[in-house]
Amino acid sequence: MVDPFAFLAEPFTHRFVVRGLAMALLLGIAGGLVGCVLLLRRIVLIADSFGHALLPGIGLAYMWFGPGHTGLYAGAAVAGLGTAVMSGLVNHLTRLPEDAAFGSLFVLCFAVGIMLMSQVAAPVDLLHYLFGNILGVTGDDLWRVCFTTCATVLAICLSYRAVLMEAFDPQFLRVSGGRSLLIHLGVLVAVVINIVAALNAVGLVLSLGLFILPAATAYLWCERFGSMLLVSAIYGGLASCAGLLVSWHLDLPSGACMVAALGAGFVLSLLLSPRHGLLGRLLPRRHFTHDEGAEVCAAQGPDGKVLGK
Amino acid sequence: MSHSHHHHNHLVLENLTISYRQRPAVHHVSCALPCGGLVGVVGPNGAGKSTLLHGILGWLPLDTGRVVWNGHDVSGRPGVISWLGQRRTQVAGFPADVGTVVATGRYAQRGMFGGYGQADHVAINQAMQAMGITALASRPFAELSGGQQQRALVARALASGAEVLLLDEPLTGLDEPSGRDLLGRLRTWASGGRLAVAVIHDLAAVRAWCDHVLLINRELVAVGPTAEVLSEANIARCYGVAHG
Repeated sequence: MVDPFAFLAEPFTHRFVVRGLAMALLLGIAGGLVGCVLLLRRIVLIADSFGHALLPGIGLAYMWFGPGHTGLYAGAAVAGLGTAVMSGLVNHLTRLPEDAAFGSLFVLCFAVGIMLMSQVAAPVDLLHYLFGNILGVTGDDLWRVCFTTCATVLAICLSYRAVLMEAFDPQFLRVSGGRSLLIHLGVLVAVVINIVAALNAVGLVLSLGLFILPAATAYLWCERFGSMLLVSAIYGGLASCAGLLVSWHLDLPSGACMVAALGAGFVLSLLLSPRHGLLGRLLPRRHFTHDEGAEVCAAQGPDGKVLGK
Repeated sequence: MSHSHHHHNHLVLENLTISYRQRPAVHHVSCALPCGGLVGVVGPNGAGKSTLLHGILGWLPLDTGRVVWNGHDVSGRPGVISWLGQRRTQVAGFPADVGTVVATGRYAQRGMFGGYGQADHVAINQAMQAMGITALASRPFAELSGGQQQRALVARALASGAEVLLLDEPLTGLDEPSGRDLLGRLRTWASGGRLAVAVIHDLAAVRAWCDHVLLINRELVAVGPTAEVLSEANIARCYGVAHG
């Protein structure tokens, strides 16, 4: 008979597991926050293509600077920026709609990235960047993620009002004198930074899960932007850790387990969420169809007219 | 119609030519829209109605002319003019309560960091009263009816304290009573010396609710009091019946 406490405590006796858990917590928090903005702004798939497009940048950085991290960030950032500008140009100058422009360019970038990586790096390195290995991260990786997560949290807190408005109605933010484009670019920069931060841990392909799954889960439960951000960040952090622990006990790939754990909560929420879940659909719902305002207006119509039919 | 002492104030369009995608879409529009009422912008599809509003807002560059309010050029002065875009620009299922949505109208005054004080709360409450949504303040925006959502969005624009409100097809997607209700409230708001300018397709609604009409088809066809402007001859001329 296994002692349940020993079973649960065992992973925490390994330094690299604890480091991986800290990493999962931080990545989950940042991903959950950024994901909320992506979801509400409806640019989740653009962020996904963004992740894939970073590969050629990583390839170039690898070629020039070796497998170190300094060049990696620069390469990925340049690739991200370049592809964003390119797709913007294609979108403006041709008849292609935005998602098709992004989709075409990013799959091309991905292919070029794989070609580059096959020349400059060992196959195991390519797989590493595609799928990551959170139990192999170093102390330096952890510091970097600590920095990017703190920066993300701080940025969202400071620009909360503008981010809310940009996600809800960018036109109105602009008419109010806000820098809608700046906020939009800031969000894209946050996506690139956090994908690069998640690179060693979960890889390019699965990193989207850290963004979208906590946000989609929180969206099913929350009626306020602030609470959605909070729930998404907390759920993202905790479920990522839970997934990592499951992967340790079952000896399954860590990145996949983290995303699967995030996804399990999402599927449960799809079923159980009281307002937006499938189960909720079957139960009687509260409706706000009664319009209090209409009567007040009928009493006070302009010119003293009664607003009948 | 209201004859308040603010009535001398006008939103003056001076010789506006505005291009959309490198082609002039609106030519040499000059007129003075008197405040104190609701102005309908009327014209066929592709007449440049939205382009005109976007030009007034400064989102499209003016090839010629300028927009003047209260003796000042409005370009580069956020907060003078507020805006309600077509409905698809907002996220329908956005998680926020109605009060929060209306409060974002104060961004023009407070910016990204400024705290809200007494004046802000007064403006927010007055805007909600004007649109009859005070009782809905704590409800989720996503669960309101289409008409209630539209009123909340107008309240957001009113809360900004702007004296001119531009609306692009505010009746789209609303049933007839909701549309009447909205136009009635806008007119009441504007009668206090302010100006609401709305693109409206429904000519019956324009006749019933607008004090003035701006009839446009890439150039100004007619502008003035509703009954005068919406004559058979003007409408035929504007909607291109004569041109085939």
